[in-house]
Amino acid sequence: MDPATTPLGQMLLDEITPVVMLLSTPSVEQSCLKNGLSFLQTLRPFCSFNNIDVPVRTASDQPYRLHKFKLRLFYASDVRKPDLMVAKEQLKQVITEAGDKMFSDSRSDVPKINHELSSSEHQNTPSWFQFLNKELVRVASFSDHEAFDHPVICLLAVSSKDEQPINRFIDLFNANKLPSLLNDGAMDPKISKHYLLVHDNQDGPTDRASKIFTEMRNAFGTIDCSLLCINSSLDAPIKHQDNPWALYITDASPTPSQDLACFLNIDDINEIKNLMQDLSSKHIIPNMEQKIRVLNQQVSATRKGFKNQIKNLWWRKGKEDGADSLNGPTYNFNSIESQIRVLGDYAFMLRDYELALSNYRLISTDYKIDKAWKRYAGVQEMMGLTYFMLDQSRKEAEYCMENAFTTYLKLGSFGQLNATRCGLWWIEMLKARDEYKEAATVYFRICGEDILHSAVMLEQASYCYLLSKPSMLRKYGFHLVLSGEQYKKCDQIKHAIRTYKSALSVFRGTTWGYINDHVHFHIGQWYASLGMYDVAVKHMMEILACSHQSKTTQELFLGDFLQIVEKNGRTFEVTKLQLPVINISSLKVVFEDYRTFGTPSAVNTKEVSWRSLEEEMLPSFSAAKTNWLELQSKLISKKDIQSNVCVAGEAVNVSFEFKNPLLISIPISGVTLVCKYSASTDEVKSNENESSLEKDDEADLFRNRSNDNSSFLVSEVDFLLGGGETTMIQLSVTPRAEGILEIHGVKWKLSGKIVGFHNFELSLPNRNAGKGRRKTKHLQNEKFKFMVIKSIPKLQGSIHPLPEKAYAGDLRQLVLELRNPSEFPVKNLKMKISHPRFLIIGKQENIRSEFPACLRKKTDSVQCDADSNIMSDTVFLFPEGTSVQGETPLLWPLWFRAAVPGDISLYMSIYYEMVDVSSVIRYRTLRLHYNVQVLPSLDVSFQTSPSQLRLQEFLVRMDIVNKTNSESFQVYQLSSVGHHWEISLLQPPDTIFPSQSLMAGQAISCFFTLKKSRKFSALEDNVSTLPVRSDVRLVPQSSDDLVYDINIAPLINFHHYERLQQEVSYKGDFNAVDFVLISRPFKSNNDPGFSDPPHLMSHHACHFSIASTGPISWLIDGPQTLHHDFSASFCEISLKMHLYNSSGATAFVRIDTLDSAGNGGHNSNINVAQTTTPDNQAGWHDITPANNELKVTSPKFLENQPVKALSLESVSPYIWSGSSSTHLHVEAMSLAEIPLQICVFSPGTYDLSNYVLNWRLPSNGLGDSDETRQHSGKCQGYKHYLTVLQST
Amino acid sequence: MVREVSESCVDSLLTEMVACYCNRFYANKPELAARRIEAIGYQVGHQLSERYTMERPRFTDHLEAIKFICKDFWSELFKKQIDNLKTNHRGTFVLQDNKFRWLARMSVDPSIDNASSVEDNSAPTPENKAAQAMSMHLYFPCGIIRGALSNLGIPCAVSADISNLPACSFVVRIKA
Amino acid sequence: MIVCVAVVGHQNNPLYIQSFTEADDALKLHHIVHCSLDVVDERVNNPKKSGPMLNETFLGLLYPIENYKVYGYLTNTKVKFILVTTDLDVKDADVRNFFRRFHAAYVDAVSNPFHVPGKKITSRTFAERVSTIVKSFGFSSAG
Repeated sequence: MDPATTPLGQMLLDEITPVVMLLSTPSVEQSCLKNGLSFLQTLRPFCSFNNIDVPVRTASDQPYRLHKFKLRLFYASDVRKPDLMVAKEQLKQVITEAGDKMFSDSRSDVPKINHELSSSEHQNTPSWFQFLNKELVRVASFSDHEAFDHPVICLLAVSSKDEQPINRFIDLFNANKLPSLLNDGAMDPKISKHYLLVHDNQDGPTDRASKIFTEMRNAFGTIDCSLLCINSSLDAPIKHQDNPWALYITDASPTPSQDLACFLNIDDINEIKNLMQDLSSKHIIPNMEQKIRVLNQQVSATRKGFKNQIKNLWWRKGKEDGADSLNGPTYNFNSIESQIRVLGDYAFMLRDYELALSNYRLISTDYKIDKAWKRYAGVQEMMGLTYFMLDQSRKEAEYCMENAFTTYLKLGSFGQLNATRCGLWWIEMLKARDEYKEAATVYFRICGEDILHSAVMLEQASYCYLLSKPSMLRKYGFHLVLSGEQYKKCDQIKHAIRTYKSALSVFRGTTWGYINDHVHFHIGQWYASLGMYDVAVKHMMEILACSHQSKTTQELFLGDFLQIVEKNGRTFEVTKLQLPVINISSLKVVFEDYRTFGTPSAVNTKEVSWRSLEEEMLPSFSAAKTNWLELQSKLISKKDIQSNVCVAGEAVNVSFEFKNPLLISIPISGVTLVCKYSASTDEVKSNENESSLEKDDEADLFRNRSNDNSSFLVSEVDFLLGGGETTMIQLSVTPRAEGILEIHGVKWKLSGKIVGFHNFELSLPNRNAGKGRRKTKHLQNEKFKFMVIKSIPKLQGSIHPLPEKAYAGDLRQLVLELRNPSEFPVKNLKMKISHPRFLIIGKQENIRSEFPACLRKKTDSVQCDADSNIMSDTVFLFPEGTSVQGETPLLWPLWFRAAVPGDISLYMSIYYEMVDVSSVIRYRTLRLHYNVQVLPSLDVSFQTSPSQLRLQEFLVRMDIVNKTNSESFQVYQLSSVGHHWEISLLQPPDTIFPSQSLMAGQAISCFFTLKKSRKFSALEDNVSTLPVRSDVRLVPQSSDDLVYDINIAPLINFHHYERLQQEVSYKGDFNAVDFVLISRPFKSNNDPGFSDPPHLMSHHACHFSIASTGPISWLIDGPQTLHHDFSASFCEISLKMHLYNSSGATAFVRIDTLDSAGNGGHNSNINVAQTTTPDNQAGWHDITPANNELKVTSPKFLENQPVKALSLESVSPYIWSGSSSTHLHVEAMSLAEIPLQICVFSPGTYDLSNYVLNWRLPSNGLGDSDETRQHSGKCQGYKHYLTVLQST
Repeated sequence: MVREVSESCVDSLLTEMVACYCNRFYANKPELAARRIEAIGYQVGHQLSERYTMERPRFTDHLEAIKFICKDFWSELFKKQIDNLKTNHRGTFVLQDNKFRWLARMSVDPSIDNASSVEDNSAPTPENKAAQAMSMHLYFPCGIIRGALSNLGIPCAVSADISNLPACSFVVRIKA
Repeated sequence: MIVCVAVVGHQNNPLYIQSFTEADDALKLHHIVHCSLDVVDERVNNPKKSGPMLNETFLGLLYPIENYKVYGYLTNTKVKFILVTTDLDVKDADVRNFFRRFHAAYVDAVSNPFHVPGKKITSRTFAERVSTIVKSFGFSSAG
């Protein structure tokens, strides 16, 4: 690549060119001003030549031709260091207006980054950057340490109007007016001059001019003089279609550009052209060439060659001490160093780069040794540039530039400008070689301490990062942010915003929320400071829900946001306000069509469970299962079947979650639903399509929705949402008239300023189902559209006083209260309850009978119709003609019993029909749902075991544990329910309960006997029909002697359900006995949890089989001890065995007596059977009938474990006398008796247990009904001890 | 601080997991179960690869990564290396383990074997069952490999092939 | 002393950034870490600079910025660890050692079955471990 074509090349060819110092008389100026131009401006367009074909020879006589050439014109007054302050001001102003300009057209959104990438440098580094950089370079010009700014020629212009023009020429160039450069000896004051006579043709003919010109020639010599005639167009001003001056004139000039130079016609222009051409080709270039030669000879004379080198070195050493000032020694123009520098610069300007380079090299070492740092830096800089122009050894070039740069920096403040310029050149160099990254770092280094300056540089650096390959977007962003901050510091807000916005394109969409927020936040702030609040808010919105930020930051953000909105004046309306977040998945719409909800909790239970509950009540199953609307679909047009139905005057509830993502709490107010009401159904069409355009601006749609609530009422909620917490909000809209009601969304006020909207339909999930869109839309309509029908009665129901907590077994009387606010009556009511075990429906009459007195057993209570009022758990029909209307509520008694501990939720549903059939809805159901927590109270368990002493008599052991931790109960009464069994006390109650009550945590066990009821024979016939009930009171007679009748409702019903609940394997067993324990709170030290203490508690334990050993029970009857004189003879004892067959069929029984000879052996295998028993209890389920039997009779067998021990150490044996095996039939429910006899031969204690009793039932008959009941069995005999004593 | 775990534990854990997903959770949807098991394996592999590549330089190309899987990764898991690695140089690798530990203790009942030897063209159903049971157990290691590779930045699909037991070969297809 | 350590996922998403300064310079550190990713990419894509230690996980000094030094570490799973420190004479060995231990901690953290890959690391134990490692780094560099 040709370095001259690169931007830097261009820059150098423009900037490092010969300077022409211009001196002109006022009259010249004024004649130029006719054209609205200064003299300099007039000439300037003709100072750059694209192809001035001048032959040049290098110092070493190589000829070459110079094509591109340029002159720089300056008035003498301007040939000096530019004023810094002015320059700064100018720069600042440039930047500011650039900022305004950029800002105004970058109002559009953030530029997409990829497009920036594609665009080349010149697009995305704005033009004002080049201008700025030029300015910065210019500021550093006319320094005394470099020669290329020194004027090479002085052009003196005198008008023909001036009198004594010759003298004017002389005193134009007098020393005291000359720039300092010439005076203070920085450059050679003997500057070559060129004398120009300017003639204004409007002042008259040129003869005077020519006369003067001849004089001039005589005075100054022919070559150095020239004549210029301008303003030769006397007539009307001419317009130049392409005005050469236009681009050189800053718009500061008063006159518009087209009538510039209006008096200069084409020959004037040509004349000027020629003038300049000659000036440069005939004077300037030859002069410079000449000078180069001269200097070169001098230099080579003094400095080339080994001798000179040495001398030079030694000499430098000599004058070392003089070099102390930071700037090193001052060199005046004729010092060899400046000569060399001049030589170098001239060579450079004439493109003789080799020469330039060699000289720069030469001089730089000198300066270095002299510690003339500024000059050294300057030379290094030039070296770098020369290397570049030569396009050789980039390393060298960059090294030099760096070197120069650092050296300038070392110089501190007054090296700064040069440093900047050097840096810029360096950067250009790097850019030219696509080393953008390095360029960026250089930009970073030339930031300097001037904030504005650094801001600009940083921004340029950022662009370099963007352009570097591969582009470093993150650094791009970072530097943009940095520069933005700097811009902000020197309040160039618009620039700041611009940079930040372009930085956004980097951070947007990344997870670097921290940075992202910061950027958005500041953009917001700055827009706000510019008063553009809407945009500000837009940006602020992005960061509102910044849950990852610290608390303080969040407060800051929110605070500023609110401020901005405040400033914005009107309450701001935002369609997608992030604060608070709406958890759309939690959105629930509750409306009441034919189903109404009595309790809030009833809403939350699944529809399915309700359906299953109501199935039997609703008119037709199919309707109940599927959409109920089929039922009355004839009444409704097809279209409305999509939409839900709600009743005028009844609220539609919408509930969803508000989540506060922040740590700080935010006040939310005025949360209301936004709805649309349309009177007639066909209007649905219209707002169908209108809901489509609702997407573009929801805001005002919401607005105009929210104000017309004449036809419906919306509820409003205010609350404070604490940090990070989530609250369930319930809103309701109540339509007033028939029609179509649509719920669009929700609307709320954040801290009273910002109104947020949220559209439900738009934000519902699964909307982005590609093809299914139409369908989903449809569904949403269904979800949020309601057909309002005219109001119909609605029952309100409640149960009081239903306790939240109750102890297990607690029995209460409750009242169901139904009200019907509307004036229309409702008819045939039905009710169904989910858990009849806990809640049953009483009878109307015992609404007024007070509780628990009504449970007392009346003296005249016959066995009332028990079975009738045990209702199966089907629908309860309220009696015919019960209609609820007006303010008289319908009261109906309910019985509640806390059956088992735990949390129970009770469902009940009440069905009722409208009296007027005109309505769309014919019937409705009232759904009630209650939760009751049941605490464990008394834990009652029973054990029965046949008594050893008497047949048909059983020992009942009752264990009670008081599981409560505070309550103490009085165990009041125990009742047994079972066929022909009745219970009786074994010991007086006060011995059981000395302290008449059961303390908390206390456990007690007591025994009762269960014997055949006396009425048994009487009730022989209807044995299976009704069970006998018998009660024992466990309180001493002293207290009131009333007994609770467990035979009347509700106890009987509850007992029934308990039976069903505690169903065990073999039912229909006559011998099963149930126990009902009734207890009362003894003294209730009120647990706060309880609204009222329980009055009465009943515990039911069911199905205790008495026929535990199977159908046959027996026992041996005989003497316990007797005396016998064994000396006389052995003793013969006769015993009796009583057998009882408790089964319904005749049993075949065989008794085998085992003699003690085979005793051990036999026992052993019995023992096997017995040793398995503990295992049986341990929960292994072996299903062989024998074991099963053993299991059932566990308590008894445990008793006779000792058998083994006893029989193993064999006491003196005894013999069964009589038959060793007896067979007999025992009739059903009948007793039998067998005589047995044994002989003993010595005194001792004998266990008469080793006989085996086999029994068998006919396999037909009852036995078949349930397989678990065994048909035959084999039992080891009970142990029966007989002690025989030697009688004296 | 190298923690060790009993092999038998791992084995039974694996079998138990497979059993759970196949017979309990997704009893009637085997492909779903397979996906879940594979996903578990994926996570395991993902994390293991993080751990086992800790001390080593980054892989330059896919082959290195695969080799890593074959050598170090495998021996970390099974105390042996992959026995045979084949590749068509277009992104498909076949890793063969001649005695894959997790199949070593799995048996196909002999009746099936001779049955299949007799007439294997019409594959008898019990063999299918056995094969399916095996493949169920192979989803986990497949997932592990896939997880490991994808964590190393190589998205791929892994399938297993048990044509000749107890040798088991895993086919890795790298997604272009 | 170590100013900041960061874990950045393979999609250049920050998984964990912890600064150990009292000063409120979180934002700046975020920026530094974020920018360092550019350098990491550069290093990885044209590793001519890191000639011999090709593909080593330890990327060495990424770049000095202001008065910080930024070191980088790139795991096999394309997860970057960034270390920002203020002390200017840091022995490479120390940094390597630091990164090794840090990596171990990271691995343990992500091996937690409840950690979702690609999500921010919130484990407290990890944070504690990191802070201890950081402290020890301070000592080792001092001694």
